[in-house]
Amino acid sequence: MPKNPIRAKEEDQINVQEKPLSKNALDGVRVIDLSWIVAGPQCTRLLADFGAEVIKVENEAALDYCRNILSIDNEGSPNRSGLFNTLNRNKKSVTLNVMHPTGMEKLKELISVSDVIVENFSSRVLEKWGLSYEDQKKIRPDIIYCSMSGFGHSGRDRDYVTWGPTAQALSGLTYMSGLPGEESAGWGFSYMDHTGGFYGALAILMALKHRNSTGEGQHLDLSQVEAGIGMTGTSILDYTVNSRPFRREGMPPGNTAPDKKIAPHNSYRCKGKDRWCVITVNNEGEWNALSKAINNPPWINSEKFSTMELRYENQDELDQHIETWTSNRTPHEVMHHLQSYGVPAGAVQTPRERVEEDPQLKERNFLPTIKHGELGDTKVEAMPMKMSETPWELKSASPLLSEHSAEIYMELLGTSGEDFASFLEQGIA
Amino acid sequence: MTALGGLLVVELCGERGQYMGKLMGDMGARVIKIEPIDGSPERNIGPFKDDVPDPNSSLYFWARNTSKESLCVDLESPQGISAVKKLLAKADVFLEDRDPGFLKTIGLDYEVLKQTNKKLVMTSLTAFGQDGPYKDYRSNDLVALAMGGIMHSCGYDDVPNSPPIRPSGGHGDFISAHYGLIGTMSALFSRDFTGVGQYLDVSAHEACSSTTEASIPTYLFLNKEVFRQTGRHQGATPTPKTLCKTIDGKYIIVFQLFNNLNSWMSLVKWMSEKGMSEDLEDEKYKDMARHRTSNTEDSDHAFEVVRNFILNHTADEIYRGAQELKYPWGIVRSPEENLDDPHFLEDRGMFEDIPHTEFGDEVTYKYAGRPYRFKGTPWNAFRPPLIGEHTAYILNQDLEYSEQEIENLRLTGIIPSE
Repeated sequence: MPKNPIRAKEEDQINVQEKPLSKNALDGVRVIDLSWIVAGPQCTRLLADFGAEVIKVENEAALDYCRNILSIDNEGSPNRSGLFNTLNRNKKSVTLNVMHPTGMEKLKELISVSDVIVENFSSRVLEKWGLSYEDQKKIRPDIIYCSMSGFGHSGRDRDYVTWGPTAQALSGLTYMSGLPGEESAGWGFSYMDHTGGFYGALAILMALKHRNSTGEGQHLDLSQVEAGIGMTGTSILDYTVNSRPFRREGMPPGNTAPDKKIAPHNSYRCKGKDRWCVITVNNEGEWNALSKAINNPPWINSEKFSTMELRYENQDELDQHIETWTSNRTPHEVMHHLQSYGVPAGAVQTPRERVEEDPQLKERNFLPTIKHGELGDTKVEAMPMKMSETPWELKSASPLLSEHSAEIYMELLGTSGEDFASFLEQGIA
Repeated sequence: MTALGGLLVVELCGERGQYMGKLMGDMGARVIKIEPIDGSPERNIGPFKDDVPDPNSSLYFWARNTSKESLCVDLESPQGISAVKKLLAKADVFLEDRDPGFLKTIGLDYEVLKQTNKKLVMTSLTAFGQDGPYKDYRSNDLVALAMGGIMHSCGYDDVPNSPPIRPSGGHGDFISAHYGLIGTMSALFSRDFTGVGQYLDVSAHEACSSTTEASIPTYLFLNKEVFRQTGRHQGATPTPKTLCKTIDGKYIIVFQLFNNLNSWMSLVKWMSEKGMSEDLEDEKYKDMARHRTSNTEDSDHAFEVVRNFILNHTADEIYRGAQELKYPWGIVRSPEENLDDPHFLEDRGMFEDIPHTEFGDEVTYKYAGRPYRFKGTPWNAFRPPLIGEHTAYILNQDLEYSEQEIENLRLTGIIPSE
């Protein structure tokens, strides 16, 4: 018998359920999206791309801050941010003032007809609104509530706040990016907003799957810092098993590979201003391919580079030789040439190159176009996958602020036209 | 009851795809990892327990392969292929990250598998996808981070001649696996209503390319290229440096200094109590909107005074003091330093002691635990499998091979000898 557990056999979970014929995977799932900025909207964007009906709820007095980021031209309009557009496509927009008792009543009505609630406020906001998970359950017994805070909804530091860079710094990810002996290079963007969103979507999808089997919802208590810590598993084990901290001489490793002890494995200067490519050689086959690709220069036969171990040991010198070869070629010339010999190499691509030139991204339709109410034709970043039965779909650009208010209040919640007009007048909707 | 209990997942994955199986296993799915006779190559990646290289001691492998069983079988032999095919006929999910076209050469492609198992969800997570001009290009974590544009945003603006820096730790693989699993889970949800599985063609290059926050929108909408800056966001225009050194030699990330007047006034009061506020009590520093939207001489000066205050305190003093004032600042910690933070260690139970009985009945090691907390269904991880640990068990119990048949497979080298 194996020493390790074997998961007990359970009955096949498939229990085909009643639902109208669907085209997208999450057709029929309704999500109340109270989230803002990047992490929460990234999460609900993934659900919306798979066909969930995501209703983005905003308070006119505190709009999604992302509407101001990279806003184009027309100052004053909340509908002109390119970043907002890519993060909120396929969603519906409704304005609702939760501070007004009628507004709160309407939010509760929305919850009663929804499957999922997502928010990324600091950790006591929904509690203060009287909408803790227990409260939500009374309104909708099988609700799936996903809270995405910095530190989680329990623990002594639950009131601390994070933005992407905070979570990256605390979890260790910022420190792990850099050259030895220098300050941290860190992440040049809010990676943990993306990844926090990925984990939010994953948790919701798993919880929805569980609800299919049991009929039960649950609270998913996400912490942005914990999601970051999860990805530092090797360093944690190196410390708990070997007592070796990551904070030590020679770390972080820049672009080299001390875990694999292979070389070359680095970035190399190319022709052009601040242009770079990466080259990696994982085995003898790739080393021979590299030699051939660069025409067997004399240095390559040096004893110093005759085995992987020696190449790793002498990698600084090796890298200088390679850079002599790369430095009068463009990154893409280096990449295509080495790849034609089977060497894993890649250009450090600029945004412009990814948008305008990359033939692979073009062929796979990475930047589809969709018409936006104010910005006209816009391009947004695609889901990185094709699915044979229930593909993701780009149905609409990001909604204009409150574009769907009438539809949601009147059609979904059955508010009369008269009441809706008065909601608008009183600043409830 | 676990969230994914009852699902049978077969994983034929290396560095790129292995995290998908781990995340499913940790939430209760039964995950069987198919490995070659001498173990998956990623078992050879360091660091190793006690620094002794051994395929059962790779901490890199441990961190990415919890909650799996291991079936070692030779996929170059018809008998080996046949065993895996039998397993796939019963599976709910097949996760694979081999080169495009490889599985077709051994008859394990989706077109074949769906004939005997229409409920199968099969996810191919490859470097560039199944088609397109780069589909046969060689890639890995570093190449994915370069081509996907992530490296372009990360690095230094004050270290001369420095290259773009890839954040270490395998994030090209993580991003790809996260997307691959999100797609897989959506297909499993849909299957509950349709009764049929499907095929997913997921591209690591596209996954990374869509994980660069504002860099593509900045190009598309403002027609500007962003550039990298030390320890902080890329910019289309330069922004103030956020890394601030502390007296104990660490760094704090300092940003949104002028986001909120209350926080600002409390910070100045704190600095003043320490005799270090200089002229910051002056009214001109209270114009949050002005300082927030443009770098002025005043805002630069204010930041310098704050920077000096931070330099005279420990990282912990500044972190906790500033958080109390609602500043979202954080210490630039090394990963292991979170084991000293009681919020994560004690209150949240973020680190999990996982038994490793192969080293002794009482031996456990502390792992980075759950990346999310499900209140209704537990995270439920166990240690990664030893090479081929479950081979005979799976062949016998799941595939109903007789002891004699299993012995024959051993003798012909199709599974490892005991």
